[in-house]
Amino acid sequence: MDRPSKIKNANLAWAFVTNAHAYLNSDAVVFGSRRITYAELLGNVSQIRNYLAGHEIKKGARVALYLANSPEYIALFYGVLAAGGTVVPLNTGAKSRDIKNWVGHSEANWFFFDARNREARAAIQEVGGNVRCVAIGGSSSEGAGWFDCIDTISAEARPSVDVIEADSRDLAMIIYTSGTTGRPKGVSLSHGNLKSNFTAIIDGLGLSASNRILSVLPFYYSYGNSVLNTHLLTGGCLVLENSMMYPQLIVDKFDQEHITGFYGVPSTYAILLRRTNLKEANFSSFCFMAQAGGPMPPAHISELKQLIGETDFYVMYGQTEASARLTILDARCLSEKLGSIGKAVDGVSIEIRNKEGQPAASGETGELCASGKNIMPGYWRDEALTSSVMVDDWLHTGDLAHTDDEGFLYIDGRASDMIKSGANRISPKEIEEVIAELPDVAEVAAVGVPDELMGEVIRAFVVLAPNAELGQRMIQAYCLKNLASYKVPKQISFIEELPKTQSGKVKRYLLKEY
Amino acid sequence: MAIREELRDYVLDNYLFTDDQSKLKDDDSFLETGILDSNGVMEVIFFLEDEYGVAVAQEEMVPENLDSISRIVSFVEAKNG
Repeated sequence: MDRPSKIKNANLAWAFVTNAHAYLNSDAVVFGSRRITYAELLGNVSQIRNYLAGHEIKKGARVALYLANSPEYIALFYGVLAAGGTVVPLNTGAKSRDIKNWVGHSEANWFFFDARNREARAAIQEVGGNVRCVAIGGSSSEGAGWFDCIDTISAEARPSVDVIEADSRDLAMIIYTSGTTGRPKGVSLSHGNLKSNFTAIIDGLGLSASNRILSVLPFYYSYGNSVLNTHLLTGGCLVLENSMMYPQLIVDKFDQEHITGFYGVPSTYAILLRRTNLKEANFSSFCFMAQAGGPMPPAHISELKQLIGETDFYVMYGQTEASARLTILDARCLSEKLGSIGKAVDGVSIEIRNKEGQPAASGETGELCASGKNIMPGYWRDEALTSSVMVDDWLHTGDLAHTDDEGFLYIDGRASDMIKSGANRISPKEIEEVIAELPDVAEVAAVGVPDELMGEVIRAFVVLAPNAELGQRMIQAYCLKNLASYKVPKQISFIEELPKTQSGKVKRYLLKEY
Repeated sequence: MAIREELRDYVLDNYLFTDDQSKLKDDDSFLETGILDSNGVMEVIFFLEDEYGVAVAQEEMVPENLDSISRIVSFVEAKNG
């Protein structure tokens, strides 16, 4: 048996396997009526690892996963890493053109998808013959030679899994944060990046095997990915719930599943506060709740804190480029430092730099820059983009911030144009690219406009070609065909011309005020 | 126009951006097909409240009542007796 030594092997899957061994009979994952112990999960991980090894996967091969949060996703995630592959998780709301872009750009050798997913079936016809496509949950006769099938991932329980040895610098994941046609942005993260950040989060939040987490955040984002890993690296249990469509069901689960912890983005909590009977929920078993993914209105934090009583509430901040987390506000400081994102997590250095690139004085706004073992080596195969944010091993986040006299950090705004809607960060360029494909469109610009629940919703400003006739619905329908539904503009405004600077750059800040 | 047709038109118009009736079956699950997200469900509830005077309580906001055209029609008809 090719079992690497514990000390040398930096593979994230090895950390999972060695930890899981201590909790073999404990629940690892609950999904609907399915309850899966760590021993069973190890069996499932081993099944995938052996499947890939049997097909002679090469070390470092990119393996795209297009599956919603599920025990199958988790088995694939660790199975791919254990076999020496690099996981490329894809947004399950994405349409086939984005999937094709990402699979092509990452030069993925494998594409695993949910057999029931119609969009995936459209995508596999376009991803190219060099990509081995595997349907999870499909019957073996179905692929008829053009894709493989694994009907179930449900192997016998095992105490361990063979894990290929990895160096801390070997890539574990590529996470795509935008899908623009010309330049998809794939954040490369090594085993060392992820492990150091997960260790810091575990320490910062005091996570342990007693945690029972209701998990609603998608694993294909770095936030959800950190929730998945930090709890499965500490022997906790993840209760998976894939949709916030019926938020009252989420609140009901708190009690039914004896939940002790919950993570959300600001819109998650806005929805729970406004659209459920959260006031009547029982939080007696809760230890903590946490928030990241953009600024949560302090009024919502205060309202929530009143309801959850002694339960700790953590405000966190981070970026995909930093594996996940850069700062945490200690729950004990919440009321005193409301509005702050806290201080750097273990192993991370943060500096606020002014326009001259020098450290800013306390109270002075500058760009938040970070360095540490958790910071990505760069964007996948895009040196120019990498060098635009990485300077001398410091990540320039594009976020504007300041510190107070005690070193607590406060975000003052974003220097970038990204739209933040719910848990999604959306590049306006992606939307503009698609709308500009319509022949009747002369120019287009998309911006985020404030929304009480979602943080921002998308508004597109369209300049039509002379004599063109194009309605709002036709534009939205075209977007829906080519973009994930959360990227479809909620509002379309037709204007005569876009406001621009003398150099021709669109003045987005003016559009936001229209 | 009957509730079923009005509701179909509303969903087709606002979430699928089409009037092609074949794009939406009465029993299509909004959750599984991804036609609606959490905001979409709330907008449909507001539509029901405005158009049919149906008050939807928090505990009634469950897939059994709201996850397809057929389920909503049954729910509204039961509420309106």
